Amino acid sequence: MKLKEWACGQGASCRTALNWFHAGALPVPARQGPARPSGVEHLQAAVELKSQARKLAIVVVAGCVSIAALTLLRGRRGDGWRGRRGDAGHRVHNLRVERGMTALRLVARGGARYASNAPRLFARAGEHRQQLRNDLALQTAEDVAATLGTMKGVLMKLGQMASYVDDGLTPAARRTLSRLQDSVPPMSPELAARVVTEELGLPPEQAFATWDPVPIAAASIGQVHRAITLDGRAVAVKVQYPGIAETIEADLGNVALLRRMLKITAPSQDVDALLAELRERITEELDYRAEARNQQVFARYYRGHPTIHVPEIVEELSTRRLVTSDLADGARFAELASWPQAERDLAAETIYRFVFRSLYEMHAFNGDPHPGNYLFGGGGRVTFLDFGLVKHFTDDELRPLVEMVKHLCVENDPSAFRQAMVDAGFLMPDTPLPTDMIVEHMALFYDTVRERGPRTMTREYASAVSRRFFDFRSPLATYAAIPRSYVILQRINLGLFALLAELSATADWRCIAEEIWPFVQAPPCTPMGAAEATWLAGRGDLAQAGRAVP
Amino acid sequence: MTAEPYAAASGLVERSAAAYVSAVPDRPQDDGFFGPASVTWRVAGDLSAPVAGLRSLLMQALHPLAMAGVDQHSDWRLDPVGRLAATSAYEATVTYGDRASATRVGQRVRAIHTRVRGVDTVTGLPYEAGDPALLLWVHAALVDSALAASTLFGTPLTDADADAYVREMTIAAELLGVPHEIIPASVAGLGRYIADVRPALRCTPAAAESMGYLLDPPGLDSGIAELWQDIRDAAIATLPDWAREMYGYPAPAPVTAKRRTEIRQALGVLDAVFLGEPGVLEARQRLALRMRSAGSKAD
Repeated sequence: MKLKEWACGQGASCRTALNWFHAGALPVPARQGPARPSGVEHLQAAVELKSQARKLAIVVVAGCVSIAALTLLRGRRGDGWRGRRGDAGHRVHNLRVERGMTALRLVARGGARYASNAPRLFARAGEHRQQLRNDLALQTAEDVAATLGTMKGVLMKLGQMASYVDDGLTPAARRTLSRLQDSVPPMSPELAARVVTEELGLPPEQAFATWDPVPIAAASIGQVHRAITLDGRAVAVKVQYPGIAETIEADLGNVALLRRMLKITAPSQDVDALLAELRERITEELDYRAEARNQQVFARYYRGHPTIHVPEIVEELSTRRLVTSDLADGARFAELASWPQAERDLAAETIYRFVFRSLYEMHAFNGDPHPGNYLFGGGGRVTFLDFGLVKHFTDDELRPLVEMVKHLCVENDPSAFRQAMVDAGFLMPDTPLPTDMIVEHMALFYDTVRERGPRTMTREYASAVSRRFFDFRSPLATYAAIPRSYVILQRINLGLFALLAELSATADWRCIAEEIWPFVQAPPCTPMGAAEATWLAGRGDLAQAGRAVP
Repeated sequence: MTAEPYAAASGLVERSAAAYVSAVPDRPQDDGFFGPASVTWRVAGDLSAPVAGLRSLLMQALHPLAMAGVDQHSDWRLDPVGRLAATSAYEATVTYGDRASATRVGQRVRAIHTRVRGVDTVTGLPYEAGDPALLLWVHAALVDSALAASTLFGTPLTDADADAYVREMTIAAELLGVPHEIIPASVAGLGRYIADVRPALRCTPAAAESMGYLLDPPGLDSGIAELWQDIRDAAIATLPDWAREMYGYPAPAPVTAKRRTEIRQALGVLDAVFLGEPGVLEARQRLALRMRSAGSKAD
């Protein structure tokens, strides 16, 4: 079977299938067909399709032995090319020589550690470039102010926060906020270079060995450029729009208008809590150094993890308006939607593990479950980007949450659950409502982890959770509250469900949760869990590294 | 004046946006009467444009005969939002449309004007909507308002650009049948013209009623209604004292830097809401691209 036919049958594009093949992530065995002189576009892969069950098994295995698979496929691809003649063959040869030269040059600069794959990563990051309106690029700081000033930057940020509390928004507000995000063009190469120069004291062409002046992605209040450092490391450099900090600070000062806006945007929400959170989030994000610190904490903690990948920060190239981190490669969320379900399940499992391991082990929550903040590799490999929204919990803050889960899901002790809710501040102490009713109301939030067995996350469930969360008419609403420090957690919780539902992900969430719950710490129940256990065992004392909360 | 109930002003943003989108051409035959390098395009896209629009209605309504024509012939009470949307569609087509489209909508309005005639009950004077003197007032009020609003709340123009704007805009009055030689073509000329007309201006009951409605439209969508208060205050702040006094509006607080920022922030939110309407972003991007390429040619 041809790769193209297989891809169509799977609802995937030929290009996607080809990418999987190259990445070793194709969920079926494939080999390179005989080469054609007409070039890479006509690369053929013979694909054998077996039963769905077999496919699943292979994907799981592929996740564990992806490096071996990649090596194997590379070898075969090489075979295919070796027989090639004519111009195309020469071109490939020349390209290799060129890359070799680049690598040598980088090694000569003393960067042997990264040189081997930096050019490849750099090139592939270019392939995954987001579609940006470079033709409308902002040329000056005045352009930035006109585009993101007068509340628009603040609204955009609200839109990002709101993308995971969809049901709390009016439809008109949702539409407006999402359009606003589309409306911001990137900076022109000159403007971005100016920011880099101001931050590093050198123009980007001197501060980096290679600098791509055209951004590869939009980021909130900035954009991402790919580069290779002087010591040969392929990096992503997030550059903040100039003048944005001043503009946004001025806009945050207009509390009256912000309150009015929020009341309109999210009528069912607590405006003061939302406003406080909005201000805090934005203020934090204006200084990229906080984000760099957070990301480095996560990167250090997850170093060597089989499927979770957090790019490491390059500290000497990170400043208030620049974050430089290792360049990561992978498919975007939208692309994942066309991947086979087994792949999506694995990606979901990784995200789920990341969220709860971070919470229970690191006492930290990385933030924003925005679809744009992930890059997907095959076999469940997920790169987590953007640590602009991280909440660190103290032991005292986390304890009642742990107690609640424990009493409801493991010990099945409703009155202890109720007490834990009171301790956390979720419920008023003298609430004149029967415990059954409270448990019944709250149980929906824990629905996926109350019982063992595979469960599919559905949009219906995600929106039921969201509706109940925002249900101010229930009798409980009078006596319930969400303490300030948990606001963000609840939001992310809702967002996580929505994200997993978007993937129609199936897993035994309870079983995975039991591995992670500190009061259970069950043995691994999935292949990924087994791989994670090996990683955990290997890192020893490092497991505490993430606790070093700033 | 009349006991007729007014139609609610809901859908103001939606319908204005739809009018704007339909007026910005996809594939224009030519650059129209102004073009992407014109000051007019810059002014029309200024953040202060809603303030300018409201102020120009306030100014226009002070001419008893212009007001009488609207009062006696327009269906604005039944469909105020539709009336405003039609006006903004007209302005946008004249500004951004190619010459054929702008000429066509101009002729359509002239045809409608031939049927609008009568006697003003306040002054007892007869009027015709096609009367160049009335059309010139409506035109001058609009041009003056765009300058006043951008100076106070938008991106102020240099003196040279302000003159260029007044000069460029003469074509808009000509499209409605005003002879070229009587149209002010400089800021100073515009000022002299307005001073000349001033003795004839007054706030008739029709003006008080319709502007009362406009400043506080019932049934406006809640979010927009709050923003509208700021737009309204801003429009009143840009009025000349004599015009404000004719209406009997209290003197507004001085526009401090802080107040200016607040108004601009409200305008920014309104603009964001406008931008959220279908097709607005694309229309803006089409215009921005043309303005950009015109700018680089000029460099």
